[in-house]
Amino acid sequence: MSNLLDSLSTELRRGTLTLAVLSQLQTQQYGYSLVQLLEKSGITIEQSTLYPLLRRLEKQELVESVWDTTEARPRKYYILTDYGAEVYEKLKEEWLKNSKELYKLLEGDD
Amino acid sequence: MNLIEVYIYEVTRRLPNKNREDIGLELKSTIEDMLPEKYSEDEVKKVLVELGNPAVLASEYNERPMHLIGPKYYDLYMSLLKMIVPIAVVIAFISVVAKYLVGFEGGDTVLNMGLMILGEGIWSILNVFMQVFFWLTLTFAILERTDHNEDKYPRTMSLQKWTPDDLKNISYIPQNRAVSKGYVFGSLLWTAIWGTIYFNADHLAGVYEGTGEGLEFILPALNQEVLNSFWPLIVIVIGLEIVFALTLFIKNQWTKKIAFFNVIREVIAVIVLIFLITNSNLLNPEFLAYMSNILNIAADQIRNFIIGLTLILFPIFSIYNSVEGYRKANR
Repeated sequence: MSNLLDSLSTELRRGTLTLAVLSQLQTQQYGYSLVQLLEKSGITIEQSTLYPLLRRLEKQELVESVWDTTEARPRKYYILTDYGAEVYEKLKEEWLKNSKELYKLLEGDD
Repeated sequence: MNLIEVYIYEVTRRLPNKNREDIGLELKSTIEDMLPEKYSEDEVKKVLVELGNPAVLASEYNERPMHLIGPKYYDLYMSLLKMIVPIAVVIAFISVVAKYLVGFEGGDTVLNMGLMILGEGIWSILNVFMQVFFWLTLTFAILERTDHNEDKYPRTMSLQKWTPDDLKNISYIPQNRAVSKGYVFGSLLWTAIWGTIYFNADHLAGVYEGTGEGLEFILPALNQEVLNSFWPLIVIVIGLEIVFALTLFIKNQWTKKIAFFNVIREVIAVIVLIFLITNSNLLNPEFLAYMSNILNIAADQIRNFIIGLTLILFPIFSIYNSVEGYRKANR
């Protein structure tokens, strides 16, 4: 049962990852700082999922990236584009609406 | 050995050239971010475990599927495979039989020829199966990789998303009227066998005598020249049998039309047979003499017996077959 539960809750989480990542990219972040930010809010994300996800978002022009080579260790920073910010707002509304509906459903409307 | 370098190499070698450097650099800086200033190999290993199997990571970057044929095309692929393989196999087998039938040379026995057809038939069936399987799989693997459509809907025969209209193209066949593949194959095989014997009767059909080296053909029962003179009619009968078998195969069920076609076919075959068997030169006189010698009956009587038996048995058989066709269609 615990195996099944694991895979079901992973599935539940998967759809929200994009939203979670977008929400944290209003200020620029590099890969590992993003992981830490998300973990601090209690969101665990497989690193092997996160980095490719960032690239995908960049390809979809939701985020843009820039290499910072001024420090000892070069880092690639990601930040939302205008278009990305717009999409994020809509996605957020959608999520809030959905979760309210689901909440009602789960708690019973009394 | 530097595990980090090797890990990055293992990821990037699976990626397109243009992305390798950038992704490699990013991975390197990320891995170093996750490690303390001074780190041991064990700590590196722990970090690499978090990043996981390099092949999986690379496939996430690539967005290329880690399967040959995915859920989008699997059903279509299987349907086509099930449709094409039996057709290709039957055609392959028929062409082997046809090759032997046309290129038959004297001196061979039925048994020998049967074995050769069987051997080469099995070989060519395997061969065709592999070919169909390979090319179809290759086509779908390429399709899977070149389809950049984001939707994941499984594809139907029209390569589009499923709609209720697709149901109109499905021929719904009740189980008890369905035609078994074995029946179709069996009737094609039967046609091939009698066709071969017919056109090679002068060294296949007749008297065999056991010698030290197996069976030796000593005397043909039929006059090959008479048989050959009937060739246009026989070709028509063979043609009808093949067309009939293929029609059954394609329609996949017995219908009244097919049953009627079956009757026509039987009638033509019986008429041709009657003309053939009553031809006074058909039976080899030497064969009749040989038989009369053995059985101690006059040659004429034997001849009449053979003709009479044929004239009774074959029509009975044909009528049974015709009725059976209608019975199957009416189920």
